[in-house]
Amino acid sequence: MSQTTQDSNEAIYRAFERLLEDEQLSPPLAAILALTELIVGSNAGTMFELVEALKAAAEVLKKRSSNPISLNAGCELFIAFVTLFPHESDSFAELKTELVQQGRRYAAEAISFRDKIAESTLGFIKDDSVILTHSYSRVVMKALLHAHKTKRISVYVTEARPRGLGLKTYEALTAVGIPCTVVLDSAVAYVMDRVDFVLVGSEAVVESGGLVNAVGSNQIAIIAKAANKPFYALAESYKFHRLFPLSQYDLPTHNPDILSLPSLPQRGSGTDSTPSSPALRATDGSPPSKTAVSSARLTMTAEQIARNPGVDYTRPDLISLVFSDVGVLTPEGVSQYLVGMFAG
Amino acid sequence: MSPGPSLPVQPPNGPQPNGEPSSGPRSQKSMTKAERRELQERQRAAKAAKPTAAPGAPNAKQAAKSNQPTAAPKKGPDSGAAAAAKTPKDAKAATAVASEGVAGKAHGLRIFSHFGLPKPVSAAKGDIHPAVVRLALQFSNFKITGANARCIATLTAFKTVIQDYATPPNNTLSRHLMTHLSPQISHLVAARPMSVTMGNAIRQLKLEISGSDIDLPEQDAKDALCQKIDNYIRDRIIIADQVIEETAGNKIKDGDVVLTYARSSVVEKVLLGAHSEGRQFSVIIVDSRPMLEGKRLLSVLSSAGIQCTYLLLPALGSVISEVSTVFLGAHSIHSNGAVYARAGTALVAMLAKQHSVPVVVCCETYKFSEGVQLDSFTKNELAPVGDLFSSFPLTKPREALTLHKGPNLEILNPLYDLTPPTSITAVVTEVGVIPPNSISSIPLALGRLL
Repeated sequence: MSQTTQDSNEAIYRAFERLLEDEQLSPPLAAILALTELIVGSNAGTMFELVEALKAAAEVLKKRSSNPISLNAGCELFIAFVTLFPHESDSFAELKTELVQQGRRYAAEAISFRDKIAESTLGFIKDDSVILTHSYSRVVMKALLHAHKTKRISVYVTEARPRGLGLKTYEALTAVGIPCTVVLDSAVAYVMDRVDFVLVGSEAVVESGGLVNAVGSNQIAIIAKAANKPFYALAESYKFHRLFPLSQYDLPTHNPDILSLPSLPQRGSGTDSTPSSPALRATDGSPPSKTAVSSARLTMTAEQIARNPGVDYTRPDLISLVFSDVGVLTPEGVSQYLVGMFAG
Repeated sequence: MSPGPSLPVQPPNGPQPNGEPSSGPRSQKSMTKAERRELQERQRAAKAAKPTAAPGAPNAKQAAKSNQPTAAPKKGPDSGAAAAAKTPKDAKAATAVASEGVAGKAHGLRIFSHFGLPKPVSAAKGDIHPAVVRLALQFSNFKITGANARCIATLTAFKTVIQDYATPPNNTLSRHLMTHLSPQISHLVAARPMSVTMGNAIRQLKLEISGSDIDLPEQDAKDALCQKIDNYIRDRIIIADQVIEETAGNKIKDGDVVLTYARSSVVEKVLLGAHSEGRQFSVIIVDSRPMLEGKRLLSVLSSAGIQCTYLLLPALGSVISEVSTVFLGAHSIHSNGAVYARAGTALVAMLAKQHSVPVVVCCETYKFSEGVQLDSFTKNELAPVGDLFSSFPLTKPREALTLHKGPNLEILNPLYDLTPPTSITAVVTEVGVIPPNSISSIPLALGRLL
């Protein structure tokens, strides 16, 4: 890789990180703004060069991000927008300026998408509702705070291990006076009968109408379906993605390390050849006869956590409605919107 | 529905007295369904017994049309023939009987008698182009099968017809050509019911013909039409298949076990394409009689070097737990997302769904049918009886494997069935991967492309 390319890659990644520091901006929006900045600094002479540069930058961001799906959605949206932008202006420089303006305007407007979504959610929240939510989501927070102004709500939030973002939700809600309780991830089925409906945010809403979100969302959706409770997903339109995962293992975030079983040495003679890999030590409830397990860890090691997925895929038949700034859609409606927008 | 007290007819057991209801003519409304059928059959037997010249024919008919599986009143062999078609279909069945006579075709079927029974190709009525005659013979002998193959063959034959066509004086090509093509199309349909692909292509062709410029010299107009036909084949079939090959191929990962059913030309291309990309996967081909099309797919894939397993449909349950993905082709896809494909496809899809195996249907957009179909009965096609299809060497003599009609045996071979959209995970088309419920948004997407 030439020096200039490396520099520009660094530059874009730094821009991206800087933008992420703003709490309001989610990764896709930050990506869009970072790509906008790239256009400002780009010396491409034709549309083709510009799109190539944008695609390369998007690749860089994707590779260095731990959670590329929502980022991908934002990048693809912006690149599609740039490609389809009508070329009325004669000079390319003018076109670039126009694109940059549009990009910035979109990002500014996108912040207001959350308000729109909060407003449409309000109609579905009755007084005295008990809501279950998962992990931390900016758009869900906005919806709950908005509802709190006019209605009484109480919220259960899951802990959302391993990142534990549920506690962040708990802090934020308690601070404004919404009664909130943190629920263990494993106690979702226990609490489901008490809940009126489930409200989750999203990393991405995919072409099938399904949802990609922090791991645990699929579980909650299945339990909600079994208990006949509505499951609502809130997603801004820039999170709509043309991805179509056929199953959990078809997600781009899935790799062979996730859920891999350790290859252990052969079981030799007797019990004292119990391998001492950390995988066994912590999960082994009954201590092996000879090896002393005095300090049995009761929390997962980082290596064990790395074997677990960060996001999961919820099938469209488990989702009742998707609330977005383009309207309140059924999962089928999402794919119709995507086909209409991206095809052709 | 209880029988009237005065009617001597006893369903389903006792032998019927050869006669009419004793208490005078009763209105048909007050009879039960069984009784109405009785009456009709007796009337038809009486009619059939009179004009038929060959004495053997009515007996053959009677012998062929005896005891039906459902709760029709059983008759003694002397009480006349008992064609058991439902009331509104009796007329059709009667004429079918009359025309086929001793040939013994499936005229006695209760169900599926409402769609095309395979008929021998009649002599060409009117001025049928030899290319079309040849094609019709190929269709009726199942030498050309598969939605794509039939459509391409039809369009190619029509190109010849158009080139050989001469506009009669005082007529314009754009108006007369269509009337010239209509009998050709009917001849093809008489050989085998039209596929949805042929229908869509012909509809597009008619549009092009009616839109062709009146002022163009004839040869130019004909060349333009042939060019349009070539473009249609190229864009909607060949290139569409390439896009599908790439998109669906991305869904195949190293180590996958892919299952497919019978032989779909698109799925064959997808698997060969993925293999040439270097992906390591194995294929399970599920096949079924009587067509045994999977054997051809097996030979193509194994000569390409793909590891294949071949089994028949009843054995599917034993292997389904090993399968990663199911790839299926389609004859057509309806706007509610239901897939109309080779008989047996629905079973494969439903079983896969039960075992949480993703079902991917590969289908070009020109196979899209505007209608909604809810079951396999309303529209289907029967295959002719006999072992026309399997041209591969058999382990047992052909006669032992071929079923023949007997006095108590009717053979039923529907060629297609309907897979409900709930059993399908994704449909891969050239405009992208789409969930089955959103198929109706394809014309919207296509409207932008065309």
